[in-house]
Amino acid sequence: MENLSAKYGKTLNLDKLTSYCPGCGHGIVTRLVAEAIEKLGVMERTVGIVGIGCGGFSHHYMDIDAIEATHGRSPSFAIGYKMAMPNNIVFTYAGDGDTCAIGLGDLLHAANKGMPITTIMVNNTVFGMTGGQMSPTTLEGQVTATTVKGRDTSTQGYPLLVPEMMRAMPGVKYLARETVATPKGVRKARKSIQKAFECQVKGLGYSFVEVIVPCPTGLKKKVKDAYDWCGNQMIDYFKPQVFKDETEQGDVA
Amino acid sequence: MKNTETFAESLARCGVKYHFAYPITPATDVMKRMAVILPKYGGQMMQMESELAVSSALAGAACSGTLVATSSSGPGMTLMHEAVGFMCAAELPCIMLDSMRVGPGDGDILGAQSDYYVATRGGGHGDYHVIVLAPSSGQEIADIMPHGIRLAYKYRTPVLFVVDGVSAQTTESTTLPAYNDYSAEFDTTDWAFTGTQDHPKRALITGSYSHQDGYEMNEMLRAKYERIRENEQLWESEGVEDADLVVAAFGIHGRMCKDLVAKMRADGKKVGFIRPITLWPFPDRAFEALPDSVKDILVVEMNLGQMVDDVRLAVNGRIPVHFLGKTGGDLPMYTLSDMIAEANRILEK
Repeated sequence: MENLSAKYGKTLNLDKLTSYCPGCGHGIVTRLVAEAIEKLGVMERTVGIVGIGCGGFSHHYMDIDAIEATHGRSPSFAIGYKMAMPNNIVFTYAGDGDTCAIGLGDLLHAANKGMPITTIMVNNTVFGMTGGQMSPTTLEGQVTATTVKGRDTSTQGYPLLVPEMMRAMPGVKYLARETVATPKGVRKARKSIQKAFECQVKGLGYSFVEVIVPCPTGLKKKVKDAYDWCGNQMIDYFKPQVFKDETEQGDVA
Repeated sequence: MKNTETFAESLARCGVKYHFAYPITPATDVMKRMAVILPKYGGQMMQMESELAVSSALAGAACSGTLVATSSSGPGMTLMHEAVGFMCAAELPCIMLDSMRVGPGDGDILGAQSDYYVATRGGGHGDYHVIVLAPSSGQEIADIMPHGIRLAYKYRTPVLFVVDGVSAQTTESTTLPAYNDYSAEFDTTDWAFTGTQDHPKRALITGSYSHQDGYEMNEMLRAKYERIRENEQLWESEGVEDADLVVAAFGIHGRMCKDLVAKMRADGKKVGFIRPITLWPFPDRAFEALPDSVKDILVVEMNLGQMVDDVRLAVNGRIPVHFLGKTGGDLPMYTLSDMIAEANRILEK
């Protein structure tokens, strides 16, 4: 364990086994978030506000203060917290169900307010914890527990493209979609997550990173197949890219 | 000054730093006033996009130990209950106002006392209570605010002020207190979520706890609510010592009881009144202590009968309890002469 602490720093709690399923993308994203906090040296003034669902477990694996918000409301919790503690770093961490189903209103208004908070949305196109139901990001034709013949866009609409909805908002200063389906994707995701936190540390405005990940359990696929599907079908629709980067202003405090 | 404005001034002068709200009649004047005055005290009013967002931001800010508040009316309170339940579970202090209007549904903007049930019974799921204060005038709003803040911090719980929409919009003379941050009396360092610079990791887990943790949390809350029930009952009463009839009412009808008792006593009628100031905990003791001379109790409310249930529970069948109430759609309340006529009818039966 000591060797790993030397490598990953103090933020990531390596004493705990995660409750994420084998092959789940949350493990990688949680580590990348911890690394970003570590790199910026803000661990002691950082508070994580996590959602309901698998993403709600993320804070158990980081030695930072954490608040488990009600379903979908973590962006509003973060707004309130940041107002009261403007010098602290606050990020929200939740899945696609929490963030863009029940919490879409809170999310978009938080983004539009442009306050310096950071949101990490982990998108696996399915409600994981509740057992594989359709999410707003479920792909067209994708079979889930509640779209047994595949998502039919004529009645169930289209997979939601969240960063595309935020792109026009002036208060959003860093906006990206990444994936952890491949090693190259992980490296890019690491960079984007770090930039998103840096954006907040500089006090520039709202920052958002959507991370496309596989959920072998919810997708009912073997781990390898889930990664293949994530690296093909999912990112074919949810194209990884940096939509906006206005972080090259000001100094890191 | 309008009593909604008195509420805002009292919040700001007693140390509230942040106020989150969404416009709704008849509570909106509170947030308008707060937007103007809070910056002078180093705080801010933040208008959110919905009451769901309001109460969530309230909870997020309260996590830091800072004194925060909101103001709303019935349909807004309905939406807020998600995070109010969260704050009870998480033991977070805050001050809330429900400027009550008539319901159900979206109801109407006419003042009412229709949120007694939802205020005193919860509103969110699970076994929880918030402390409910029911001032009956602008002066009482100003006078009781420090007490409300102390209760919020002492018990680490949301404190809800309920003021009917008529009283909330009444303009009357009020002496406001000088600025004093009452939240500063309380040390929040052993629980506030301020980052780990001065404490080991804290995690506020109100949902995905283990079964054992959930049981312990509920038992801890039960013990806390028992302490509040034991120690924090407040009421005003007059003329009950030798009364044949006691009139019980809160808020504006409670205020009218003073005149009712004076007038009826002048006519030689032995009438007294009890005006609950805390609606939760309900002042059972005021009713348990009533002398044997009391043959009847009349409960007057600006609703179809809600507090009357608590009065019946408090007297537990010992004294007959009658009810007079009216709400919504037309004139929202009974007048003093209506109340006196009903009291006479009961006395003469």
